[in-house]
Formats: sequence, C-alpha cells, structure tokens
Amino acid sequence: MSAPVLRLKGVNKRFGGVVAANDVDLDLPPGIVTALVGPNGAGKTTLFNLITGNLKPDSGAIELRGRSLADIDPRGAARLGIARSFQDLRLFEQMSVYENVLSVMECSALPWQPGGGAAARARRDKADATLELVGLTRWHDARAIDLGYAEQKFLSLARILVTDASLWLLDEPASGLDPASYDRFVKLVRGRLADGITICLIEHNLDIVQGISDRIAFLDQGTVLAAGEPRAILNDPKLAAIYFGERR
Amino acid sequence: MLFLQLLVDGLQLGALYALMAVGFAVIFGSTRVFHYAHGTTYVIIGYLFYWLAERLHVPWWLAAAFAAFAGVVFGVALDRYVYRPIQRDEGSFFTVFVASFGIGVVAENIIIILFGASFVSISTPLTRAADVGGGIVVSYLGIFSVLAAGLLFTFLNWFLARTDVGVALRALSENPELVRGFGLNPRKLSQYTFALGSLLVAPAALVATCVTGLTPTAGHRVVLISIAASIIGGIGSLRGAGLGGLILGLAESLAVWKLSTGWSEAVAFVILLGFILARPSGLFGTRARV
Amino acid sequence: MVGYILNLLILVSISGILAASLNFIIGYAGIYSMAHAAFFGIAAYTGALIALHVSTSLLVAIPAAMAMCAALSLVISLPSLRVRGEYFVVASLGLQMIAFTVFSEWKDVTGGLGGITGVPIATLFGYKLRSLESFLVVSLACLAFVTGVIYVLARTSFGRSLRAIRDNEVAAAAFGKNPTLVKTIAVAISSALCGIAGVLYAFHVSFVNPETFTVDQSVLIMAMIIIGGTGTVFGPILGALIIHLLPAGLTYLTFLPARELASMQQIIYGGAMVLLMIYRPSGIIGRANLKDTWSK
Repeated sequence: MSAPVLRLKGVNKRFGGVVAANDVDLDLPPGIVTALVGPNGAGKTTLFNLITGNLKPDSGAIELRGRSLADIDPRGAARLGIARSFQDLRLFEQMSVYENVLSVMECSALPWQPGGGAAARARRDKADATLELVGLTRWHDARAIDLGYAEQKFLSLARILVTDASLWLLDEPASGLDPASYDRFVKLVRGRLADGITICLIEHNLDIVQGISDRIAFLDQGTVLAAGEPRAILNDPKLAAIYFGERR
Repeated sequence: MLFLQLLVDGLQLGALYALMAVGFAVIFGSTRVFHYAHGTTYVIIGYLFYWLAERLHVPWWLAAAFAAFAGVVFGVALDRYVYRPIQRDEGSFFTVFVASFGIGVVAENIIIILFGASFVSISTPLTRAADVGGGIVVSYLGIFSVLAAGLLFTFLNWFLARTDVGVALRALSENPELVRGFGLNPRKLSQYTFALGSLLVAPAALVATCVTGLTPTAGHRVVLISIAASIIGGIGSLRGAGLGGLILGLAESLAVWKLSTGWSEAVAFVILLGFILARPSGLFGTRARV
Repeated sequence: MVGYILNLLILVSISGILAASLNFIIGYAGIYSMAHAAFFGIAAYTGALIALHVSTSLLVAIPAAMAMCAALSLVISLPSLRVRGEYFVVASLGLQMIAFTVFSEWKDVTGGLGGITGVPIATLFGYKLRSLESFLVVSLACLAFVTGVIYVLARTSFGRSLRAIRDNEVAAAAFGKNPTLVKTIAVAISSALCGIAGVLYAFHVSFVNPETFTVDQSVLIMAMIIIGGTGTVFGPILGALIIHLLPAGLTYLTFLPARELASMQQIIYGGAMVLLMIYRPSGIIGRANLKDTWSK
C-alpha cells in the first residue's frame, strides 16, 4: 500500500473534562474511501475539525502528504486541497443553487478572479455540468433554503465535486437519504476515486456504510478502537455492543 | 495638586461607569441581547427624577426612588414586549439591536418634545463639596457614587452567589440550553436580569442629573461606555465590566490633565478601539471566540 | 415651489446614495455599521476644504473624499473584522463618537462647532453648477452611478463571496474564501461610495458643521434601509424617499405643532423600526419573512 495521504499520530484533544481525541493514530490511504464510525459523541467530527484547523490538537501530529498541518486554518486547508462538508450542511441559504456551486470556485477576495473571461466561462460551465451530474439542473435558480432535504444533500456534495480538492472529508453526507438517492450518491462519490481523490467520511448508519467504504475506523470516546476491512469491523460483536449498547 | 484631584474625580466617575457597565453586562451575559436602550433607561430615570423633584417639588429621595423604579419597569417591559417576541421568531443579534435603538430614538424624541433639547439639572444641597485636605475637593454626590457602587456590587455579589435566581442567572450566562433543561423558566429569569441591569444604571442617572445635567441624547454615550467597559473587561465577566468602567472613568478624568474636556470624551472610545485591535477578549474574557 | 421640489430631490438623491452604500454592507454582507454618518461627515469636510483651498471641481473633490473615507474605514475594519461581527458594530459606534468629537474640537481644520461656511459653487469640467437643475442632474447621475456599481458588484464573484460569507462564514472559509479581507474591502467600498454623498452635500448647502453628522444621522440612514428593505437595490432609495417625504406629509397634519415636527418624524422612524423588527424584519420591499420558507 502506498504512503497515506493523511496521517494522524498520537493526536490528543480535551475540552475541560471531556476527552474528544485520545492518542489517535489514523492513516488515510490514497484513492480509497475510509469511513469513520462510532456512537454519538465519539469524536468523529472533532477529528475533522482538528484536520482542517478549526481546532488545534493538544498534542500529536497531523500530516498531509508529509507536510505538517499544525499551523493551518480552514482557509489554508482548502488551499492545500482539502474539501470538507458539514453535518449541518452549511449551505449558502439565501443564494441560488447555481451560485452555491459557482461561488465555491471563486476564492480570490478581489472583485475579479484570476484567469479573466475564459476562466470565468470555464467555471460557469463546470458549475452547470456539476449540477447536471448531481441532478439539480432543474433547481438551478432556486434558493438553497427552498430545496428539499435530499436535494440539499446533493447540493452539499456538488460543492465538493466542483472543487479540485484531492482529499474529501464528508461529515454524514448521505444520512437520511432514501435507498434510490443513496445509491446515486454512492456512485457519485466513488466515481471520483478513479481520479485519485482520497475520501474520508463519517457515517452513522452501519447498515449502509459497507456499501460505500473500502476501510473502516471505529471510534469511541475519542479512541480508535479498530481499523481495517469493513466486514471484519462490522461483524465484531464487541464493537456492536459498544455501538448499540451500554453507552447512553 | 491637580493630578490627585483628577484622580479623585476619576474614581467617582469610574464608580458610576462601573455600575452602568455591569448593568449592561448582566443583561448581555444572560440574555445575549445587545440592549442599546440601556442608555434610554438612564435618560428616563434622569428625566423622571428631574421632573418629580424640580418641577413637581417631590422630596428628592422619593423622586429618586420612583425614578429608579420606573427605569426598572421600563427595562422589564422592553424585554417582555419587544425583545422576547423578536427572539421567539429566531431574531438575529442585529434584529434585536435595531429594535433596541429604535426604542432609543422614540424615547429620546418624546423627551425632546416634553422637555426640550437642552440641559436640565437639579440643584440640590448634595452637590456641595467638602475640602478633605491638601486642596482636594470631594463632593457629597461623589461620595454617594462610590458608596452606591460599593453597596450595589456587594448586593450583586450576594445575589448571584446566594439566591436561587442569582445562581440561575449565572448558569444562564454560561449555558442557556442548560437552564431550560433544568426546568427553570428562562422568561422569568430574563425579567430579573433586566430589572437588575436597569437598577444598576439608576445611581449614574441620578447623580448626572444633579451634577453635569442631562440631555435627551445622553443615552448614546452611556450605552457606548457600558459596551466599551464590557469589552475592555472581557465579555462574559461582570467583574471585568466593573473594572473596565473604573478604568474608563479614571482615563477620562485624567485626560483632562493634558486635553480639553471636549477631547477627553473621546478617550474612552480610543481605548475601546485599542482593545478591539490588540486584545478583543479583554482583560478577563471568558467567552470562547467562535 | 419648483425650487423646493428641486431641493428636495437633490436631498433625496444624496440620501439615496447614503442608504444604498450602507445597504451594500448591511444587506449584502450582514455587516451593521453605525459609522455611516461619520464617513458622510469626513467626506463633507474633505470636500469643503478642497473646494476652498484646492479646486472646486467635483472631479477632484469626489475622488479625494472617496479615498479618504476608504482609508479611514480601515481604522474600524482592520481591528474588528478579524473578530466577530458584533465587535464591528461597537467599533463603528466608537468611530462615530470619535469623529463627532474631532469635528467639534479640531477647530483649526474643521472650524469647530461653527463648522466651515462659504463653500464655493461646484464646477464640473470648468462649468459652474450654479442652478439647482444642473446640480440635480449631477446628483442623480451620482446616484445612478452608485446604484450601478452596487448592482454590478453584487453579480460578480465578489458579490457572491460577500453573500456566501454573510450566509455562512464557516463554510465560506472552509472552501478557501478569506472572510476578513472580503469584508474589509466591502466596508472600504461602502465608505467610499458614501463619500460621494458627502461631497455633494457640502457643495449643495455650502456649509458643513458637526450637527449634521451625529449618531442620530447614522440611525436615520439605517432607518431608510430598514424601512425600504435590505434585500433589493431599490429598497434603500425608496426608504430615502419615504423619509424625506414624511416631513412634507406631516406639515399637512396641521394639528401637529410645527416646532416638534423633527422629533415627530424621528418617533415615527424609530417606531417603524421597532415594529418592523418584530413583524417584518426584511422591510417593506424586502423578501418575505424567512419563516415562510420553513415548510419542510
């Protein structure tokens, strides 16, 4: 297996008395989907926040292709090719579907983007094409806030698809989707692996996580309890007990 | 010597600023309302005091008590009829803010219609001053200011630490959701908050009416000093707000040493901008900056 | 009568510029500024001084005032936009108060409470704008310019970035945008456009004094936007119109004492703001209440 794209080594994070990350070692191998699973409050979103620089680890190292992410903030993470989606979507609600997707490609703060008219046209075409890909073309000019639940999930994915990020961190991207939509979603996500994208996603639903991921890491109370083949992890009775059982 | 006199004056001013600031901070800390009308409470108390004492010749202590009470009623009413309805509708911070200064504008102009736009003040024997030696002059009202601050802060300390409502208010400022979870009634709590915050502004209003005089637009400065003190002291810290008020009072008074009175009024805001630039969490800020 | 109407329209144009430029940051960026009257004043004083000592040409005074306002806006935006939006409101209030003190106390430059009088007539390409008609044409042209600039900017990538940051700053940053820089530029643009109004005002009334540039004026500008609606390009202009027509309308209610008219207006605006915030936060023209869309 080639070198991991993202590597966490001995990462710790506490909030007062709560241990959010406990000596976490995690590798994200390139070109595959790694899923983070575990009960609520296990620290999965915290790991994403630590990777993107929303939070700073108390100790430990986080490296992207060998480069330390210790001094990074979310903007910097984006510039290094990390794209992140949120559990609560965080769409640009008053903007149209089209603008949501287009705006994500416009990162310069100046009133004009580099590349002039040709690049602008290319961005617009790419936005349209991506909307076509995720099936949101008919919602082109609708306000993001007016979309139905499933459409909003696909819009969130569209914003990720349209970037040229090489590492995706998706936080419960498909939760609550009906089976048909979910299949479509999985195809879109896995379809980009061939381009060399590395994907890490947080998934709550153990039934569906097997269909989307190549590798699974199981977290509980900030600790990585197991990592490996989906089948092995999911069939482990001890982990199932933790997920369903004693913890409130 | 001039410096000492300015220091003494600064302490008196600082005591009043500290009271205003803590009043604002109590409200903001517990309800997250940017209570711009805090300045309006001040003006209402002051003008009512003036009207009762000077125009209707009510004994000053009665007038003062009534005016303070009216201020409290105003604060609580504002919470009940304006802030709460907005917050119920998922009103944002700014919606509440706009409504708050809308109230301020309305009240300010009603007062202009009733009392005119220029200074009003009360002449009382309390404005007399005494020479305490070394050429330093301390007025009775100055002593009153410091005493009032001391008394009210002691009361506040006791209230927040020892009474059920007080402890609940502290909990509210740490974690609003928690309060609901414990079955406490946030509505009642915010009433207490506004009552308390508005009461704290009373001494400053009463003293100002006697000493410097009052104008209808005085409220702007009051709320701005209160906010500045809260930011300097650190949002989330009542002690910080009090200290911030004291610092601002001292700074403004001492500034007269080198600057004219006009310029010295701007000192507070320069300090405010400085803190926002260099240390936005203030001296004792407890709130996380997210 | 004609003169009265021309004068009114000029003032409405100036207020329209003030309201539109403030709406650029309030409506599109969600940044609430209380310092707009301060920038209005800074531009007015700059314009007056340039007219008296350098040149009466609008083509000199306006760009100078715009540059001045944009530069000074950095005084509040650089420190406070790094932190949360609420700090910006406070910082802007602070700047407003400081500006008023400077206008009143810096007697050598601003003339203190008396202000600056005798501002000469404006010229444009050498042509003196002596008549009200000509000045109105220029004012309307400036209003059109400001409205046009805002309209275009809103549709560019910058406008989209601004709105994205307003809608969800965390997500915007996560996708690589620079919220602080974008907001700082927006505030500078807003202040600069406001500067145009200041210069026009100084030339139109030929004097400048601190009384015009108080917190109450900042509040009045904000009232125009709130009443007219923040979500559209024309809302602020409508708000400006309403607020200027109101006094005229009030004079017809003869039972109201004339002395108190100014205060009555303010009471009406203040009351309107409060009621709107409770019942219709997006103003008279603004989009329907967000609540209506929570139908899921």
